Amino acid sequence: MTCPVLFERLVSMVTREDVENIALLSKLFVPEEELDGLTKSMQEIIDFADTINNAPSADDSFDNINNLSNVFREDEVIPSYSNEEILSNAPEQAEDHFLVRNRE
Amino acid sequence: MGCKAVNYELVAGFETHIELATKTKIFCGCTTQFGGEPNTHCCPVCIGLPGTLPKLNRQAVRYAIMAGLATHGEIAEISKMDRKNYCYPDLSKAYQISQLYAPLSIGGYVELSNGRKIRLHHIHIEEDAGKLIHQHGDTYVDYNRGGVPLIEIVSEPDIRSIDEAREYVEKLQQVMRYIGISDCKMQEGSMRCDVNISVRPVGSEKLGTRTEIKNMNSINNIAKAMEYEFERQVDLIESGGQVVQETLRYDDATNTTSSMRSKEDAHDYRYFRDPDLVTINVSKEEVEEIKSTLPELPTEKCNRYVEELSLPEKDAQLLTKYRNISEYFDKACVGVKSPKTVANFIIGQIFSRVETEADKEVFAVAVSPEQLNELVKLLDSGKIRNNLAKSTLEKMLDSGKGALEFLDESDMGGLDENTLNELCRQAVESNPKAVEDYKNGKEKAIKAIVGNVMKNSRGKADAALAESKIKELIG
Repeated sequence: MTCPVLFERLVSMVTREDVENIALLSKLFVPEEELDGLTKSMQEIIDFADTINNAPSADDSFDNINNLSNVFREDEVIPSYSNEEILSNAPEQAEDHFLVRNRE
Repeated sequence: MGCKAVNYELVAGFETHIELATKTKIFCGCTTQFGGEPNTHCCPVCIGLPGTLPKLNRQAVRYAIMAGLATHGEIAEISKMDRKNYCYPDLSKAYQISQLYAPLSIGGYVELSNGRKIRLHHIHIEEDAGKLIHQHGDTYVDYNRGGVPLIEIVSEPDIRSIDEAREYVEKLQQVMRYIGISDCKMQEGSMRCDVNISVRPVGSEKLGTRTEIKNMNSINNIAKAMEYEFERQVDLIESGGQVVQETLRYDDATNTTSSMRSKEDAHDYRYFRDPDLVTINVSKEEVEEIKSTLPELPTEKCNRYVEELSLPEKDAQLLTKYRNISEYFDKACVGVKSPKTVANFIIGQIFSRVETEADKEVFAVAVSPEQLNELVKLLDSGKIRNNLAKSTLEKMLDSGKGALEFLDESDMGGLDENTLNELCRQAVESNPKAVEDYKNGKEKAIKAIVGNVMKNSRGKADAALAESKIKELIG
């Protein structure tokens, strides 16, 4: 029995290099000894996504679970939050700004 | 460059970011007002707190469709939002919501005055990033600008000279202001350009390696940076080197470009569909409806002034530079015999009182277009002469009052032939010196005698008629 392409199992392989590259792009430092473990975890996450990707759906143009499109808001101003509220979760702040320290 | 064996051609493409004139941000109801105390135009959505849900601003989509239509693009029936991932403090979510795979407008072009069409690849919508202030080695972040709606207009590499680059940016600015979707103020950052530039031997079809100059915020800087970069690339190739693909920063203080990052550490943005935002469907009917609301665009308007109203190209360009001027002109022209007369009054006397480009754009003139229309019609019907019309317009501009406030019955009665004959006779008699000069072959001397007639008739005499009568009298 031949399967339609849609139902074929697609496999994505995650390599150590992928994890290193993603860490670099995300500005994260990953110790050498954690790389293998993280590669395995990442593979599991990707496998899970593959399972969803490969789930049969009746319609090719399937876009979202509620089949919604054109969800808009009107261009009406809503009062913003105060500076104090906005900065209340900031790890560091100074002079009404979020502060990002230079680590170099 | 005369000593070089090969002549080089510049090849450039532009990525132009334009902030849309919506009242609120693209995904939340915070105001888009420029300035304001730091981090006071913000909410959990636009600072990217976890668990928040962006909701697309309908007006931002509409403005972007207008931009697409005004540049002859095709509006996509289905378009989608994507996440562009990068880690930098100007983006709190570590991704920017943008469009890559299915942008809102596809293709189109901007036509230059030399007839060349600079093709557009596409126009997409996205959110602006926050503002960073680098101080004492640390970075201060203000997210007021974060989430302001932008369109990015991506051109093909069709630009071949710095003059073309300049005109391309000016044309985009002009069109976007005409349709009212942005103020396009480069100095305030509501319009910014990234310039992709390469060189190649004239005649070659192959594109050279390009560099990208980021975030240019004035047309003069764009011109200077491109000139510098063109020379730098040519010199590099001429001396046996190779252009390296990299992103450059232009420093206007030193007029040089310097590297921000090279291709090796170029961003891998890992674009993917934003799962928080649903598909945008734009129906053909909607596109037609939006098209019907667009004003006549500057290039079409300029051509119409030349072809239908017989204005010189230069006049037509001056009158169509800003929408307010062209609308003033259109209103002042209603029912007049000679649009050129209206153009002359605007470009001459009225422009001399509206000095700066900013004032020209607003074009708040003391005399209304209807008042100018009335004055020109008096001139058309022969009720007043040109000199009197000019001096009357000056008074109107000073006071904001209509022409009839300054003209009485006697001004508009014209001049009967007997009175004109008498005035000419008197003028010849009272100017023996000028008469003598004219007889001795000094053609210009007659102007002094005509001038005397004009003065004594308070500008009502027909100068050409007076001149021929005077010539008859002198013999």
